[in-house]
Amino acid sequence: MLIITRISRVLSNFQNLVALFAGACIIVSLIGILSLPLAFEENQLYPKTRLDPTSGLYPYDRGGVPFGTTEVICQYPENSPYAGYVTTYLTPLSLFLAENTLYIGTTIVAHPGGIIDEILYNTRGADTVVETSILFTAFAIASYLYRREEE
Amino acid sequence: MPDIGGDPLFVLEFGDILHYYTPYTITLFLLALIFTGLAIASRPERQIDIAFGGDAYYAKETTVSEMRFRRFMAIACGLATLGAMGSGDLFNFTLFVSLVGIANIGIVAAVKNRHVLDAAYEYGIVAMVATLPLFGGAALVVATTGTLAIPALAAGGFAVPLVAKAFLALGVIGEGMAPFYAAKAEMFRAPGAPYVIMCSLSSLLIFLRVVEIVITI
Repeated sequence: MLIITRISRVLSNFQNLVALFAGACIIVSLIGILSLPLAFEENQLYPKTRLDPTSGLYPYDRGGVPFGTTEVICQYPENSPYAGYVTTYLTPLSLFLAENTLYIGTTIVAHPGGIIDEILYNTRGADTVVETSILFTAFAIASYLYRREEE
Repeated sequence: MPDIGGDPLFVLEFGDILHYYTPYTITLFLLALIFTGLAIASRPERQIDIAFGGDAYYAKETTVSEMRFRRFMAIACGLATLGAMGSGDLFNFTLFVSLVGIANIGIVAAVKNRHVLDAAYEYGIVAMVATLPLFGGAALVVATTGTLAIPALAAGGFAVPLVAKAFLALGVIGEGMAPFYAAKAEMFRAPGAPYVIMCSLSSLLIFLRVVEIVITI
């Protein structure tokens, strides 16, 4: 039997595809482990150095003054003339919690976009748009599948 | 650096996130745009089963709510593909690709048929797992180079590890596996047409785009 026939016979059963993909993941991960150590670039565009455990927004505190100008590093500074409006996406309630308690950093995951913004930086607004689109699509599918039983 | 896309014709700026369109990616973009328009305009196919031994036949109706939902998912998939074609930011690209994957799950899962739902479930597992190498690849790139912008990475001076590129390609392979499942569930012919075409097209386009990215960075 030709080898291509065998391959297509295995692939024709879609229950094998998960195993195949898992196998590929294992192989690539092993290559990745073997290629360690990978050098960490110290000169990060989005640094995480300013971690302040006493801040109410810890570990999400990006620094900066709301409604003030803050020096931030950007890839394309000319595109972000207002870079520095860092924590202004907080709602009034969140701002109140951040100023008076230490727990807004751990409750920020309850905000839309909060749980997924580990890499979010104030010059990366399009990330947030796409992330919430993903959530919206997933909720649309879930609600459709859930409500379909009623018909 | 091999420049397979050509010079950018048009650059759209969102802060640090650029969307750029080279002759290569604008071709893919226009293809996705045309097919999104076709998905909006077309009507679902009506399957007819002939009953053997008589002159009876069954006409299977697609309900309006199912048709609307699948059309919505096909449009969402098309928009996500449009975004992935132009995105000049690695993390944004991975986000668009996972949006394509989720919309593909929606297209396949809307069909009320045990066989099809079985395939959708299996594809859902792959699409969920594939986000790990996808985002892992982007994270490796940002850790080893310090930036995520594809034009900056393409300008040279950065050593992007091979394993990060392999992870990116593997993630796109996982997200783009939908046609295998859709084909096995016999959706192209019968209950899923024509919206299932969007699965195949988006998978093809994100493959072509990730090839460009992996070669360029």
